[in-house]
This record gives sequence, structure tokens and C-alpha cells, in this order.
Amino acid sequence: MADDARNGGAAPGATGAADPPLPIGLGEDELIMNLERDQLVLETLRPVPRAVLSRRALLGLWALRVFSILVSAMVIYTFIARL
Amino acid sequence: MSTSELSPAPLPLRPRLTDEDAARSEDRGRVYEARRQHKRWRLLWLLVGPGLLAMLGENDGPSMIAYASDGAQYGLGLFVPLIPLLFVMAYVVQEMCMRVGAVTHRGYGELVLQRYGKVWGWFGAGDLCLTNLITLVAEFVAIRVGLAYFHLGAGVAVALGLTLVLFTLSGGRYWRWERTVLGLAMFNGLFLVAAILVGPQLPSVSSSLSLGSLEHAGANTLLLLLASTIGATVTPWMIFFQQSASADKGMTPADVGHGRYDTALGAVLAAIFGIGALVAGAALMYHGAGIEGFAGAGFPAALANVSGGAVGTLFALGLIEAGAVAILTISASTAYAAGECVGVSHSFNTSPRNVSVFHAANVGVALIAAVVILIPGAPLLSIALNANVLATVLLPVSLVFVLALANDRELIGEWVNKRSTNVVGILVIGFVGLAGAAYGIDSFLQTVDLIS
Repeated sequence: MADDARNGGAAPGATGAADPPLPIGLGEDELIMNLERDQLVLETLRPVPRAVLSRRALLGLWALRVFSILVSAMVIYTFIARL
Repeated sequence: MSTSELSPAPLPLRPRLTDEDAARSEDRGRVYEARRQHKRWRLLWLLVGPGLLAMLGENDGPSMIAYASDGAQYGLGLFVPLIPLLFVMAYVVQEMCMRVGAVTHRGYGELVLQRYGKVWGWFGAGDLCLTNLITLVAEFVAIRVGLAYFHLGAGVAVALGLTLVLFTLSGGRYWRWERTVLGLAMFNGLFLVAAILVGPQLPSVSSSLSLGSLEHAGANTLLLLLASTIGATVTPWMIFFQQSASADKGMTPADVGHGRYDTALGAVLAAIFGIGALVAGAALMYHGAGIEGFAGAGFPAALANVSGGAVGTLFALGLIEAGAVAILTISASTAYAAGECVGVSHSFNTSPRNVSVFHAANVGVALIAAVVILIPGAPLLSIALNANVLATVLLPVSLVFVLALANDRELIGEWVNKRSTNVVGILVIGFVGLAGAAYGIDSFLQTVDLIS
């Protein structure tokens, strides 16, 4: 999370570089404290809400999309024709 | 607003941890410890990776062949300023990806799919798969070219590429994967060593930088050079890769500063090594050898003829490295995109049996590309030379979504782009779009004899 207090400092219970890995199931408190809450797999599984695009933005995106497909087709055709 | 604030339901007080969380937590523990103890260099060491890999990964086989070929045909004049300029452009794009990945902890494909809908998400993934597959074929070609210098065949190239993919995946940790590939990527510097060896053979700086050799090049050739050089510096896979890798590495908003150093360092090194390949290639031009008869495939041998066996060997080893690193990073970007779009686990921090889609995509795309280069008579060199152009043509749509995500205040809050970044971003999209479209349309009209 952007405003997480731990960002600027050490996480309590943080493991040092030479420490052996913490076994899963043990020391979970320490493991959790090293991560931001929205970094947990459980949290990243929640989808972000849909953005609302204006009609103009959608039109622009579709125009660019169709244009890029057309130009790609031209590049592929040229590649095949010149073989 | 941050991503967790967008979530509909609060987390339980003590969330269930996965093995992916545990592995990432261990890496983050080291970062917090280094930050707490004010160990600046250690912190930098821990946080570099995605930016360096994206930039050095893009100094791939076809790109290095293209740079050397440009140097051999047109000298240094246009490209010495163009390559750094394009890597500045790449920095602007990749910095946005890193920032969005660090703040949201989510990959590009995942965010586009969830935020703008499945159609745009799958379009992006489709573009990525197409360009990645073609580029991967080109990477195997580059390895094959490098190995051919040592009298080794396509079978060895395939075995080497696939073994590397399987070996790096077997660690079950993002950190191990990243450090292994980073170690390999440093050998991109072989092109710089080759350039240093060739340097004294080149004429004075002023004549090397002359644009005279470009005077006879047609408009279509210039457009091809521009489109393929852009495709050698900014591509769809880099966008997917750096954002997903930043999230997989566990970067947070506090790491954005180091992420910028990482990306900038990658851009500087990639530009220097790219110019190294250009300078090495230019030796052919100044010895009057040209590339006729070599056409990219025999570059190391051609260089050995005019500049000595050491330069040829370095160039051949460089091509093997460039192809190998790109196979690893491009396969990884495909795997991230597949996992994100299908909506299943997508991390190097889990064992292969727990992330079957991720690992299957990673190995599968490399395997398909490997099979293509074993097909007798396949137009491998044409594929290699056109890979960058196709990436350039398909890039603008991906860039628009990068810019949209980096301006999404609801998603990344205070981390949105500054006005100056947006101005540069829009210029980059316009430049890439125009260069790709101009070449595509001009070539097509020439092919169907509508213009001469």
C-alpha cells in the first residue's frame, strides 16, 4: 500500500541477509510483517474495479486498434511476398 | 486511492499465507534490513533487476545483428545519436511500468484486463504472444549464428535455449531466477569489448560520424532502419515483463526511486553495448567488406576476417548471450501474461507443480520457437529481421494503456505521471506509431506495385 508506514524503515522481525529461510507455517507473523497487505496473494486475487472510459476515448482506442491490425497485416503480407 | 482501498471487503485479521507470500516476504525482509541499516549499496543491489533485465534483454540477438548490420552498411553517423535517444524513450516507458507494478503489485496484462475489460486485455496478450513467438524464433536464430562460428549446429542452439529455460525455472524463486539471468545478461558487455578491439581500426571520429553513406538509401530503407531500430529498444514484451517482474519481486512504492536507478542503469548499459555492436559492425564498412554474402548469418566470421579472430569470437559469444537472455526474459513475459489473463497464479516464487499455466507458457512458447528453427528451409533470417518491425507496429496500443495506467489516480494515487512525463509519453507514442505505420504502408504499396 502506498502509504504503508513500514516503507521508510525496517519491518519488525525482518530477516537478515544471512538468515535461513523461515519455514512456512512457522513465524508467520514475521513473514506477514515484511509484506504490505495489498501485496499478499490473497489480496491480489481481488480484481480492481473497471474504469469508465468516455465514448471518445473508446472510439480513439478502437481506431488505433483497427489501424494497428491493418498495418500489421501489411507488414506480414510484405514479409510473405518478399520471401 | 490505493489498490486495497478499492477492495470491496476487508481482509481477515490474519491473512492466510501462500508459499509465494513466504518467498517474497523473505526477499522483502532483506530489503527492510538494508534500509534500516542505511546500507545504500546493498539496498541498490537487492532492488536492481527488472529494469536491467528488460533493457539488456532487449539488446537481444536480432537487435545486435541489426545494429551491427546498420554499422556495416551505413556507418555510425545516424545511429550513435539515435540509439541513446531511443533508450531514453525506452526509459520513459519502462519507468511507468515499474512504477505501476510497484504501487499496485499487479502486472500490466492483469490491470488492463480488469480495468479496461477482457477485450483489451486479450488483444494485448494476443499482440504479445504473436510478437514474442516471432522474436523467440529470432533469438534461436541468433544463438545458432553464434554457435555456427564454433561449428555447432541448430540442434545445439535448441538444446542450449531450452535447457536454460528449464534450469532457471527449477529454482522455484523469483530471486534465484532474476540473479541467474542478470549474471548471464552482463555478458552483453562482450559487444563493448569487441568495439574496443575494433576501435583503432576505424577512421577519425568526424568521418565515422558522417551521414554520407545514407545519401543513397531510399525512403523505404530509412523507414525500415527507423522501425527496426525502434523495435530494438522498446517492445510489447518489455512492458509486460517489467511491470510483472516488479510486482513479482515484491517492490513497493518505497522502492520506486531504486526502480528508477535500475531502469536508468539498464538503459545506459544497453545503449553502450548496442553502440558496441554498431561500432564492431562498422569495421566491415571501413574495410570495404560490407555484408554482402554474409547477410547477418555470417557476421562473426566476417568480423574475424577483417578484425581478427578475437573480435569474431567475442561477437559470436555475444550473440549466444543476447539470444539466451532474451529467450529467458521473453518467455517469462509470455508466462506472466498467460497467468494474468487466465487469472491463475503467475510467479517465479512458487514451485512448477503449483503454477502449471505459468510454467507451461514459459516453456511452451520457447519450445514452439525452437521447433520452428529446426524446420528445414524456414526463412529464419527474414523472420529475424522482421521481428523488430512487427513489434514496432503493434506497440502504440500497448503504450496507450501504459500511459492510461500511469495516469490512473484511482489506481496509483499520488504516483501518477507528472505533466512532463505525459508530454514525453505522448511524443513517444506518436513517434513509434508514425515510424511503424510509415514503413508498413510504404512497403505494402511497393509490394503491390502501387508506388515504385
